[in-house]
Amino acid sequence: MPVMAGLVENECLKILRRKRFRLVLVVLAALLCLVVFAQNRQQQNQRRDHPERDWRAQVEKRASDLERQAGQRRMPENWKRWMRYESGRLRYYLSKNLNPNELTGPVFTRTFAGVGSVLLIPLLIAVFGADLVSSEFAEGTITLLLTRPVARWKVLLSKVVAMMLFTTLTLLAAFFLAWGISGVAFGWSGWGAPMLMGFRLGPGAAGGFDLTGVRMVPLWQDTFAAWGLAWFSALAVGSITLLLSVVFRSVAAAMGTMMATLVGGTILSRVASDWDGAKWFFVTNLPLPDFYAGLPTPFEGMTLAFSVWVLLAWAAASLAAAFLLFTRRDVTA
Amino acid sequence: MVVSAADVVLSAEGLAKRYGDREVVSDVSFALRRGEVFGFLGPNGAGKTTTIRMLVGLVKPSRGRIVIDGHDLRQEFEAAMRRVGCIVETPDLYKFLTGRENLEHFARMLGDGAAGRIDSLAALVHMDGRLDGVVRTYSLGMRQRVGIAQALLSDPAVLILDEPTNGLDPAGIREMRELVRRLAGEQGLAVFVSSHLLSEVEKMVDRIAIVHRGRTLATGTLVELTDGGRRGLEDLFLELTGGETV
Repeated sequence: MPVMAGLVENECLKILRRKRFRLVLVVLAALLCLVVFAQNRQQQNQRRDHPERDWRAQVEKRASDLERQAGQRRMPENWKRWMRYESGRLRYYLSKNLNPNELTGPVFTRTFAGVGSVLLIPLLIAVFGADLVSSEFAEGTITLLLTRPVARWKVLLSKVVAMMLFTTLTLLAAFFLAWGISGVAFGWSGWGAPMLMGFRLGPGAAGGFDLTGVRMVPLWQDTFAAWGLAWFSALAVGSITLLLSVVFRSVAAAMGTMMATLVGGTILSRVASDWDGAKWFFVTNLPLPDFYAGLPTPFEGMTLAFSVWVLLAWAAASLAAAFLLFTRRDVTA
Repeated sequence: MVVSAADVVLSAEGLAKRYGDREVVSDVSFALRRGEVFGFLGPNGAGKTTTIRMLVGLVKPSRGRIVIDGHDLRQEFEAAMRRVGCIVETPDLYKFLTGRENLEHFARMLGDGAAGRIDSLAALVHMDGRLDGVVRTYSLGMRQRVGIAQALLSDPAVLILDEPTNGLDPAGIREMRELVRRLAGEQGLAVFVSSHLLSEVEKMVDRIAIVHRGRTLATGTLVELTDGGRRGLEDLFLELTGGETV
């Protein structure tokens, strides 16, 4: 389809010339600078306050603090689970004589995949994704776009492809910015450092810490998998954003709805730990890189595979609804 | 005048559109012939805009059939729309792109060397040399002209213009009128022009259809409809539409 290449070129041109995408890159860079600066400060303060203490003593203290807190009665159940998980992980690192807190540019980059895919990257995708279709309605250009000899499904398909391209670009930019900026403070090397993963917490409140699946992988391998999963999450977010962009004729309504959903969903998964229906909500399933690392999931019974399937279902249903609506709708005024 | 079926480039038969239980268009029929300028006249709210949106595939008719250069619009959308150029309501281009980038954008949607026609079309609408400005800085008249160049990119058989003189100054109106006459006369296009202002299309059109409350009330040449010029078009209009202001 030679026309399809031209259509995708059109969509990319419009995204670039609207300057929203540049805003996304600037926000990413600014936030990363801020986080790296703050972490660097924290590290310096710790060194200044406890110059005598070595890292083993620090990790030891952190682990026993967590164990004590996990024993408190009023602590919410999913926090307790996380604390028991984290202390178990720290103790295993100690037993292998590895420093789990050693901060390098690559470690920061790996961690950012998990942290970023919860809220930051989805919000940035909503910024440029929300106006893909709604801006054509808002600016009146939809009447030209749909009166050309190109079937409506092809027009929408070109927008889906452009959304995927720019989501990929956002993830690549986030990766290189995270590595580049954190490297200034913590050094760029260290991709070969050993990572321990595969820790598992047994079910229920009293579930034991399971070490049978623990294995050691080089950091670059873990990072590659984590960012791949972050990319998958981001594509699901992009697909849902595109549906909202088809539904709403105003850019602000599409973007606002998506942002409220992301923020609301994040709150939901932190607060409503008793209602496990929330595990079917797409926002709950976004932190794939964390689930991959073995961090306890917000609800019992959720696994990496479960979350991948839930996100896939949301993305597929959103795209199907978007195509149905876009190809059938009467375009009036 | 004897008209052969081969001359008809666009036909609308029994078009109707219903939103819920409100019928906006009830029964609109007409045929456009090669090389003529066809006026589509009616007061505001008569169903002109909905009819135009049906002609260009933006709105699906509830009843009726549209055939463009032998292609049924519903069954062969792409083939039919390749023969049509249009400006629906205002010529909304991408304001953040230049005139040339807008034309290139729409040329890419056509595929076949349409981009090669950009410069000659710019000259035709007197926009050569001004295409590289951002559309945001264009006057309405300039946007209108780029809009027409865009509509002609696919080398269409039919040009559909919705209220093309709206908002233009007298010089702009005259220029538009001359351009429309030239496209019909020299290039053999069928030009469909809608308006609620009789005076503006009177000097431009060969035949007219008068539409009121969603129905075509009369179709014919100006001479036919005005009894060889004995009655004013204004009177006829008032008579047919029951005295509603036009």
